[in-house]
Amino acid sequence: MLERLLALLLLATLVVLAPACAEPPSLVLWHSYRGEEERTLVALARRYESEQHIRVELLAVPFDAYTAKLTAAVPHAHGPDLFIDAHERLGIYRQENVVAPAGDALPDADVVGYDPSAIGAVTLDHQRWAVPLSTKCLALYVNDDLVKSVPALEDLESLRASLPPGVVPLAYEVENPYHHAAILSAFGGKLLEDDGTYGFAGPAALQSVVFVRELIARHLVPSDANGSLVKQLFSSGRAAMAIDGPWLAADLPPGLRYHVAELPLRTRGAEAMQPLLTVESVMLSPQGAQRAEVRAFARWLGGTESAIQRATGAHQVVANRAAWRDPLVAGDRLLAAFHDEQRWAQPMSTSTRMRAAWVPAQEAMRRVFRGEDPQTALVEGMGRFEDALKPPPPPPSPAPLVVVTGLLALLGAIFAVRRATTPDFRHALRVSRTAYRYVAHAAVVVVVLVVVPLAAGALTSLFAGTRADPRYVGLGNYVAILTARGGPLLGHGSFYLTLLVTVLWTVCNVTLHLVLGVVLGMLLSRPAMKLRGAYRVLLVLPWAVPSYVTALAWKGMFHRQFGAVNAMLGALGIEPVSWFSHFATAFAANVATNVWLGFPFMMVVTLGALTSISKEVLEAAEVDGATRWQRFWGVTVPLLRPTMLPAVVLGSVWTFNMFNVVFLVSGGEPDGSTDILVSDAYRWAFTRDAQYGYAAAYAVLIFLILAGGSRLLSRVGGAKEASA
Amino acid sequence: MSNPGAITAASTRARSPSVDTPIESERAPAAPRAIRCAVRGVTKSFGQTPVLRGVDVEIPEGAFAVLVGPSGCGKSTLLRMVAGLETADQGTIELAGKDVTSLPPRDRDVAMVFQSYALYPHLSVRDNLAFGLKLRKVPASEIDARIKEASVMLGLEKFLDRLPKQLSGGQRQRVAMGRAIVRRANIFLFDEPLSNLDAALRAEVRVEIRRLHDRLGATTLYVTHDQVEAMTLADTLWVMNGGVVEQKGAPLDVYERPGTKFVATFLGSPQMNLVDAAITRKDCRCLVDGGGVLAPVDEERFGEALEQGRSVVAGVRPHDFTIADPKDAVATLKVELVEALGFEAFAYGWLRASGPRIVARLDAADAKRVRPGDQLPLGVDPARVHLFDPQTGRALDAR
Repeated sequence: MLERLLALLLLATLVVLAPACAEPPSLVLWHSYRGEEERTLVALARRYESEQHIRVELLAVPFDAYTAKLTAAVPHAHGPDLFIDAHERLGIYRQENVVAPAGDALPDADVVGYDPSAIGAVTLDHQRWAVPLSTKCLALYVNDDLVKSVPALEDLESLRASLPPGVVPLAYEVENPYHHAAILSAFGGKLLEDDGTYGFAGPAALQSVVFVRELIARHLVPSDANGSLVKQLFSSGRAAMAIDGPWLAADLPPGLRYHVAELPLRTRGAEAMQPLLTVESVMLSPQGAQRAEVRAFARWLGGTESAIQRATGAHQVVANRAAWRDPLVAGDRLLAAFHDEQRWAQPMSTSTRMRAAWVPAQEAMRRVFRGEDPQTALVEGMGRFEDALKPPPPPPSPAPLVVVTGLLALLGAIFAVRRATTPDFRHALRVSRTAYRYVAHAAVVVVVLVVVPLAAGALTSLFAGTRADPRYVGLGNYVAILTARGGPLLGHGSFYLTLLVTVLWTVCNVTLHLVLGVVLGMLLSRPAMKLRGAYRVLLVLPWAVPSYVTALAWKGMFHRQFGAVNAMLGALGIEPVSWFSHFATAFAANVATNVWLGFPFMMVVTLGALTSISKEVLEAAEVDGATRWQRFWGVTVPLLRPTMLPAVVLGSVWTFNMFNVVFLVSGGEPDGSTDILVSDAYRWAFTRDAQYGYAAAYAVLIFLILAGGSRLLSRVGGAKEASA
Repeated sequence: MSNPGAITAASTRARSPSVDTPIESERAPAAPRAIRCAVRGVTKSFGQTPVLRGVDVEIPEGAFAVLVGPSGCGKSTLLRMVAGLETADQGTIELAGKDVTSLPPRDRDVAMVFQSYALYPHLSVRDNLAFGLKLRKVPASEIDARIKEASVMLGLEKFLDRLPKQLSGGQRQRVAMGRAIVRRANIFLFDEPLSNLDAALRAEVRVEIRRLHDRLGATTLYVTHDQVEAMTLADTLWVMNGGVVEQKGAPLDVYERPGTKFVATFLGSPQMNLVDAAITRKDCRCLVDGGGVLAPVDEERFGEALEQGRSVVAGVRPHDFTIADPKDAVATLKVELVEALGFEAFAYGWLRASGPRIVARLDAADAKRVRPGDQLPLGVDPARVHLFDPQTGRALDAR
């Protein structure tokens, strides 16, 4: 026993020490590149290794998890020495201490070698924080067969006159604030002002949305186009022009004759459209910045040789100016066009507040394009932005928390001591000692995986602010939620309205699950039915498919232009329905999806419960004179109830928290009205300036509601059973 | 009657005073209108398997008819057809002279007691009893009255508010009967209602059922595979085998004059001894000779059938053997085993090394003298010797 323990200890020590003893990797670089960009980066790293005799370790981190991993790893010194990311993240990274100033990786002497816009993007508080690698911005794709000369934005009408029927003059993602920012700039506005205030509410914003609404109304641009639709329209020649980034080029068919031009001017205002600029840069972690060889590698990555290789190999619009003197780079018309455009572009704000601006802006635009009053929509959008960023309540005295915790601990201790001193308890403990040993590991796992996170979540709800700067607010989050943040109790996005929607959602779904499940279960349990097994398999299938796959499929089916549902309605001569523009239809789409996902469970439970009902009891009822309907209500239903009740409780909890369907199908549209509590909590945590504490308070409230609700449901059902 | 099961039943009942209490109610319920039930030429197959091959059953008003037969003989199927739970492939079913073959159960006004009792597990005893009445829109006061009446009759007053799962097997059985009683149906159907009870309780309830019938006077069709139930309960016995009725009649008639070899062996326990033999004549007496038996037969009973040299199957019930003087013995049993039951005993053995095993009943006093290995001389009353045709299995009775 002892030897084994010692061996285990030795092994553990080795595991811990081994990495430390091995030769340290000289450089660690994280990136989220894929395809040719990744290949080029690997080639560059190998080249640098052979030239400088230093090891460069590359780690490709999935884009979705990139920021989260960096902010988690770097402060604990597990992170990379340097990493590649878009410059607008600098705000978060600085706040989270993930990035250090570039120092001599970008000395003053090098500054003139880069595009001024790129240098501007990485300069914050008079310090340069990263070495720019490449720039990305929107530009205009022009179909050469359809367009002879690029018109100004106002002259799209005249362009259409020269186009074949069915071809739209311009396609872009009209509802995407990233794209709209370019239009907005032509009217002199910005999404986020330089001082961090919300910019999408003034006269410029109003003019811009009204202008686009007009374009949509005149069918000069398609409404609700997403990236894939834009690609589809432009590559098939059904859109004469498209506004999109360099990524579109990779997806265009080889035969298509097109060129990329600067974004069109707006004639009457004579203002140029300024797309948002993203500068991909190499950034140094605080540990990495202290090492000269890391800084040298960062400098080399931004340098001319590397830039030429990146431009030719990975088709990056490199920020290094000298590289553009290379004939190969300068000769690439596509790259050159984007390089020209970036001169006009405005670097995206690095402010952390930018994160909270996207959703209100998008919601406001959707509402305007749907026909609501633009002024109201924009002002309310600003209200939501400000609401999301409302400073946390002043920190209350932690005394109540300390007192309550202390009191609870004291009571617990007294209880424990009193229990421990009773002879019965000690006897029971002695008797069960072996049993405790058997369950100890499971108990530890449950505590670590369930209890600790639960407690941590509950504790988080007492704090406000970001992870780097948490501030204790006591029950402030709960007060804010339960007072609807000072707004009307059933106002937009208030806790109570969302709760109401959630309850409606749960009731609708569980009722339909139950009805459909029981009906199908009854049908499938009839022994006379042919192909019963086959039907059973088919009907259980929706359950077997991962719910997000189903949700995405249903979202596609509800698409206004291309969805199967509208196609079927069209075949019946019914006008296409814009499913996600109205609460009722969006809600119905969600419910349809979730019913599809949920009825097999109830069906399977029903099938199981039906086998436990004796055939003779039903026959006895038949002889007693009951019709089929009376047998169902008088015998089958009451006998199903004990089995169905736990299933209904379980189904209610699942539905109450059915994040996947709501998030993926309607996404809360229109305007967040179909959001349920969990999806709203998610938005507080991840799209409204990372208010984890606030979201945690939501989660605690959801937990309490569900715990109470399930208990009530069981009790009501149980009481019914007892009285029956 | 010499059936051992009947004796057991009678003695059990005598020991059990509880049986009497429920029956002693002050008034009998309004008697249902006893009706006639007729099943004519009914056939039924489940898939390729024929279950009933043309059955005719006729139950007069108020009679207690018992369908008895081994498992799979089709008796339950026939009962379920009368209830309306199964459809007939061919033939008709008449209740009170009306053709109900295609009517659903609720339009036939039948009451049925199931083998598993089939009580509604979610309803109290009271609601179990009231279920059928409520469906038939009987007024609440009338329902209460009938429940009271039935519960007094069955001794269920104390259990009215309990759920079935809180009752014992016997109590559940009574509730099932009560459910039939309150309905005041025209005909009562029982589907092996006693098979889930233990032996003592079975005897008790059996008597109760017969008393209830006598009290209520409703036409009753009762299905069982248990010959004791069949013998004790029936006015008319219908013995079924392989989807046909082999014999019908009053229980004792059927027992004493079995119409076929099957009926002869099915009724009676231990079953009738059978040996292959032939008819011979000796000293102007007709004898059956074979398998170690040389016994006189009742010439009046068999008449013409007693041709010299004819092959027959001879049957004697164990209870009809007596211990005889060795010179008068019709057979000599080489005893292999003696099974003493206290008030009687059974001797098992062979008449010949190659012959079938033979059982003889002994008086308790005689049994003490008999040892395995003994040669036991047996005698039999000629009237108790049954003869069957070896090919058809039919009895050779001249009637």
